[in-house]
Amino acid sequence: MWIIFRREIGQYFASPVAYLIAFAYLLLTGLVFNNDLTSSLTIRPADPAVVPTFLSFGMVFFAPVLTMRMLAEESREGTLELLLTAPVRDSDIVFGKFLSAWFYYTVLLLLTIVYPILLLSTTPNLPDLGHFIAAYIGIWLYGGATLAVGLMFSSLTENQIVAAFLSTSALLLLYLGNLAGDIVADINLANLIRKLTLGGHFSPSFAYGLVRAEDVAYFAGIIVIMLFISIRVVESRRWR
Amino acid sequence: MIEVQNLTKRYGNYLAVDNISFEAQPGEILGLLGPNGAGKTTTMRVLTGFLPPNGGKISIAGFDVMTDSMQVRRQVGYMPERIPIYPDMTVEGYVTFWAKLRGVTRPRKRVAEVLEQVQLYDRRRSLVRNLSKGMRQRLGLAQALVHDPKVVILDEPTIGIDPQQVIEVRESVRQLGQNHTVLFSTHILSEAEQVCDRVIIINKGHIVAQGRPSDLRQQLQPEVSVYVQVGGGSEAEISTLLRQVPGVNGIEAQGAGYSLRAQKGVDIRPHIFDKVTKAGYKLLEMRPVAMTLEDIFLDIVGR
Repeated sequence: MWIIFRREIGQYFASPVAYLIAFAYLLLTGLVFNNDLTSSLTIRPADPAVVPTFLSFGMVFFAPVLTMRMLAEESREGTLELLLTAPVRDSDIVFGKFLSAWFYYTVLLLLTIVYPILLLSTTPNLPDLGHFIAAYIGIWLYGGATLAVGLMFSSLTENQIVAAFLSTSALLLLYLGNLAGDIVADINLANLIRKLTLGGHFSPSFAYGLVRAEDVAYFAGIIVIMLFISIRVVESRRWR
Repeated sequence: MIEVQNLTKRYGNYLAVDNISFEAQPGEILGLLGPNGAGKTTTMRVLTGFLPPNGGKISIAGFDVMTDSMQVRRQVGYMPERIPIYPDMTVEGYVTFWAKLRGVTRPRKRVAEVLEQVQLYDRRRSLVRNLSKGMRQRLGLAQALVHDPKVVILDEPTIGIDPQQVIEVRESVRQLGQNHTVLFSTHILSEAEQVCDRVIIINKGHIVAQGRPSDLRQQLQPEVSVYVQVGGGSEAEISTLLRQVPGVNGIEAQGAGYSLRAQKGVDIRPHIFDKVTKAGYKLLEMRPVAMTLEDIFLDIVGR
């Protein structure tokens, strides 16, 4: 598993696409932070969770692009067949790839820690560190979940574009579902919808600095389910 | 080393391999011969632990492919028909990746060795995407050999490369046979004849013949052929004369002479000689025509 992990990490740091994504990511998060910081001078207090909140939307688009090639390319190039004849478990293949994607995401996330640090230096009082930490933990888990979804769609097809399209659609659905919760009249149904969405487990809690077990469980659950499906799909290639 | 008993494999409703059984001894080079769609690749995929069979018992080096799949994979090196590549890796990186994945203990040393073996050592830092087709074949071979497996399975290793490289690949396969058990598939019959110790002819999922190339020829060759060229008379006279040679089943004009078919076991050459010389004609050429594996194959597959 770690052998695959290392290879995938190498691919990330060697691939131009990954750098483009990193560039877009850092650019956008930087703009968001800058915007918030300037408005905090006069309009409202700085929001420690501004970057993570942006990312909760951004990952809907970043995650598919980061993961689209992972399994789709292997199956199209024929290397998946070779991997499946190596003494490696199918689950190792999926875990290795997932962890490498999550690791790359974690690196990018850590790069944005510079923003809270900047924020700290601008205020005389210490802002709520707990808020930051909670928001970052939340978006880290959230990112893991979106990457797992992307990986799952990558396993289903040989075509990277199709994989990206499907994952983006699925993630959009899970993200916008939150808005649906706002529209629906029945409060119980609205709550139910919110509980199923990604945003519903991030905005009310992590974005406010709250770490709830149910949210952690939700994200962990998504990761587990998506990886499980991916492993089964990879296995099913043997039966075709 | 390889034992296949009653292997059956279906893709949905399509029966790709129907109850075949065969064996390979250690150090043997076994050729799997058959037209496209015969079931060669499917059989190989089952042997490598990639596809589970629908029926049958298959073991490699004593390990069953269903219950001890991981062990089987450690013992087998596989080179698929289309060499799978990671375009952005270097040659060295590619082979090292597979070496590590297959559990090679000293990857650097072993990778260098195997790259030398396939003559890619001086291209070790090139990107895989920049290799020519022949080099990719060699890369595929390197990947299959890096963990020094007991069994090497090659799917159509000589397809799509130039004649010089074909000769090199055949020679490599022969050399491999010295230390490994090799199973390779082809639909080029002369190749099977030249390289293999034994041949299995497979068609539409069935084994239609198996044995040593020379044995197969003897077994399956229905008739003996002799090519004769006679001078000193007209065509009509000569063909009539030749038809009268005892033991001849049939006669066909071929090129400048005639091809005489006789029953197995009958040597018609002395008879031809006698008949021709007694009639006063000149025997210009006489040679036996061995039925090649190609003819046998076409004959069997056509049935």
